[in-house]
Amino acid sequence: MSARAVSLSHAGWRTFLGKRTMLVAGASILLFFILMAVFAPLIAPYDPILQDGSARLQAPSLPHPFGTDNFGRDILSRIIWGARIDLQIAFIGVVFPFVIGTIVGTVAGFFGGIVDAVFMRIVDIILAFPFLVLMLSIITILGPGLSSFYIAMALVGWVSYARLIRAQILVLKNNDYAVAAVSLGFGRMRIMFRHLLPNAIAGSIVFSMSDAVLVLLSGAAVSYLGLGVQPPVAEWGVMVAEGQSFITTAWWITLFPGLSIVCLAFGFSILGDALGELLGVHE
Amino acid sequence: MSAAILSVRDLTVKAHLDDETRILLDAVSLDLAKGEILGLVGESGSGKSLFCRSLVRLLPSSRLKIEAGSVLLEGQDLTAISDAEMLNIRGGEIGMIFQNPSSHLDPVMRIGDQIAEGIRYHQGLDGKSARRAATEILSQVGFPDPICQYQSYPHEFSGGMRQRAMIAVALSCNPKILIADEPTTALDVTIQAQILQLLMELRDRRGLSIILITHDLGIVAQTCDRIAIMRGGKLLEEGPKRQILSRPRDPYTIKLIHSHPSMPDAEPVAEVAVAAAPVKPILEIDDLHVRFRVGGSLFRGSAVKTVSAVSGISLQIMPGETVGIVGESGSGKSTLARAVLGLTPLTSGHISFEGADLALQRQASLKKLRREAAMVFQDPFNALNPRMTIGQTIGEVLLVQGKIAKADIPQRIDELLDLVGLDREFASRKPRSMSGGQCQRAGIARALAVDPKLIIADECVAALDVTIQAQIIDLFRELAARMNLTLLFIAHDLAIVRNLCARTIVMYRGEVVEDGPSEQVFSRPSHSYTASLVAAIPDINPDKSLFSDARRVPQSIPSIKSMP
Repeated sequence: MSARAVSLSHAGWRTFLGKRTMLVAGASILLFFILMAVFAPLIAPYDPILQDGSARLQAPSLPHPFGTDNFGRDILSRIIWGARIDLQIAFIGVVFPFVIGTIVGTVAGFFGGIVDAVFMRIVDIILAFPFLVLMLSIITILGPGLSSFYIAMALVGWVSYARLIRAQILVLKNNDYAVAAVSLGFGRMRIMFRHLLPNAIAGSIVFSMSDAVLVLLSGAAVSYLGLGVQPPVAEWGVMVAEGQSFITTAWWITLFPGLSIVCLAFGFSILGDALGELLGVHE
Repeated sequence: MSAAILSVRDLTVKAHLDDETRILLDAVSLDLAKGEILGLVGESGSGKSLFCRSLVRLLPSSRLKIEAGSVLLEGQDLTAISDAEMLNIRGGEIGMIFQNPSSHLDPVMRIGDQIAEGIRYHQGLDGKSARRAATEILSQVGFPDPICQYQSYPHEFSGGMRQRAMIAVALSCNPKILIADEPTTALDVTIQAQILQLLMELRDRRGLSIILITHDLGIVAQTCDRIAIMRGGKLLEEGPKRQILSRPRDPYTIKLIHSHPSMPDAEPVAEVAVAAAPVKPILEIDDLHVRFRVGGSLFRGSAVKTVSAVSGISLQIMPGETVGIVGESGSGKSTLARAVLGLTPLTSGHISFEGADLALQRQASLKKLRREAAMVFQDPFNALNPRMTIGQTIGEVLLVQGKIAKADIPQRIDELLDLVGLDREFASRKPRSMSGGQCQRAGIARALAVDPKLIIADECVAALDVTIQAQIIDLFRELAARMNLTLLFIAHDLAIVRNLCARTIVMYRGEVVEDGPSEQVFSRPSHSYTASLVAAIPDINPDKSLFSDARRVPQSIPSIKSMP
């Protein structure tokens, strides 16, 4: 549901800005965060976990542009270091579901029949539970931590990709070029992965960008609930959670990491849209 | 000639692209008289559809603009009026029908309501009288039971009936001009003849002026009063039908007339190459049945019905023969082709390809078929993988088949491209950047890459323009002769089959009703269905009327669509 909201919300943006502008803007935002993550040790002014009792809860100022938290840690440095964790979450949290879902969807769509029925019932079972509830129960069983989060993501997230790819394959396999491939004596693997999949995958690539936003937000949500990244490691979701008890007195602790999440999500989102234009998904 | 109802002067449409401005319509001037049928002929991309769309300012993209010229409808300039006034013109004064009726009818709205909607909007009638008027129109366009069929949805009708419904929708607003954009291209010949006849009747009864867009000069010759030939956005030639057909001035018109397949002086069909020599047939089909299951579900297994697509066909095809299979859509000709290639399971009967029986030793026969038979498809764009270059596509076939050494593949690709008359540089092009004709040539090259003995071409020219059709037919003729191919050529266009094939098989409702030398089948058809098919070909000679009583399509033959 939220994936839909994301793509709708910037349908207006697409007409507002040009196609190429969108691609460049999305890629630039993403690149900005990647550079920030890579060069975190060089650009962060302070140690992200070093506590400074003399500088607690300071409002944004020149030495601390984003202020400090209740332990006197510099918010800006924590956001810069947090980019490493959050990009990793977005990347790993998308790649595994993407790969699993693509393979399952291709196989189910291509073979149909009993194979398709079995896989699609598994998908139904997973979809029957609310996403976050299922995530949280898996993480609770595996024990809190980032690796549990990734495993839970891989177990739950693939269903959307599988459904997307399967629907495409079902249409494509009746195309003349697929029939031609059969009549020319090509093997099943070749037809599936060389002829059908490349033509089916564009939609999933675009969706993966919106999905990255969702993964990022659920990563933040899980960390917020204390099941993901463990303190004192800097992660934007954790930072938002830590700041909430001071929201009335020290708004900056919550605001800046929150804004970072929004910016990165926005970057993924418009990049996905621009990719969609580029790959001809919307046509 | 009576005064022109519509008069177009120097209509110019330009496309403003990112880096250039292209002229799509170049100062086109035309007149349309009251009660006249004007045939607008040209290939795809000639601007004939765009011309008609710009009359009602329905340009397909905001980048296209009418730059100059005027469109005078009874003295009112349509290029100058406001959008609100245009709404009354569209439908109210100028109605349109399109090639594909299924995509222009609302699938979730009853046919009758779609007609009544226009009547209520344009004529301001209340629901009840609109309903009565709609029923009346339905009967005018030939619905046998208009009161009952008012309630039906588009999917319940055949293509021909849907096209009639489209015409009814267009007529609902009582327009003065009807623009028909390739209205019969998607229909079978017999249905086409009926629709054309309907258009002419409506013209006579209502004094309607019609612009008929088509690529088939035969249709124009049969129905129109005047002809306008367009190419590349320009009006090349315009004049009364007989004058254009008998004394064409423009070289393109001459070429168009000569590439029309019903030309009587078409060279005699290649003499029957396979003489009485006792050769074994390359393909033998014996009492073949193919049935498909329809309906039924997991919980109502007993309700499963089957539809027979092919019922009891027996055929023998000799090596080197060129055989045409004709029949209406739904007659089972494509199913037969797919069954022969092992793409559709057989229900019963035998197909044996050079002695390998597809029913008895399926795996072995399939293996043999894949290496010695190939197929050419109808839609040239859809038949090629859009993400692969032509060189990759052909190269992959050569690689998988493994008949030649890996190192020789690039050279073989060049040879194949030469063979089908494509430039060698096409090896690095993708289908997207090629025309329909070029894609079809690439499709043929891919089929030839198998080095087949048998090629099955399923409606492979139906989607192409006439002059391109003629080129592809020539290519097939040349290839068949040069490489001693056996060609199974499936088409609904009888004129093409007559031109290309030595032997013709006519299919009807999944059965073969006639089989013999083409000359004989076409000149002395022995089955009444064949006779009706032959009679429905629009001839380019306007004196051989499609609608004279002698050639009138016999009504006694029920259409395939109405079968139980």
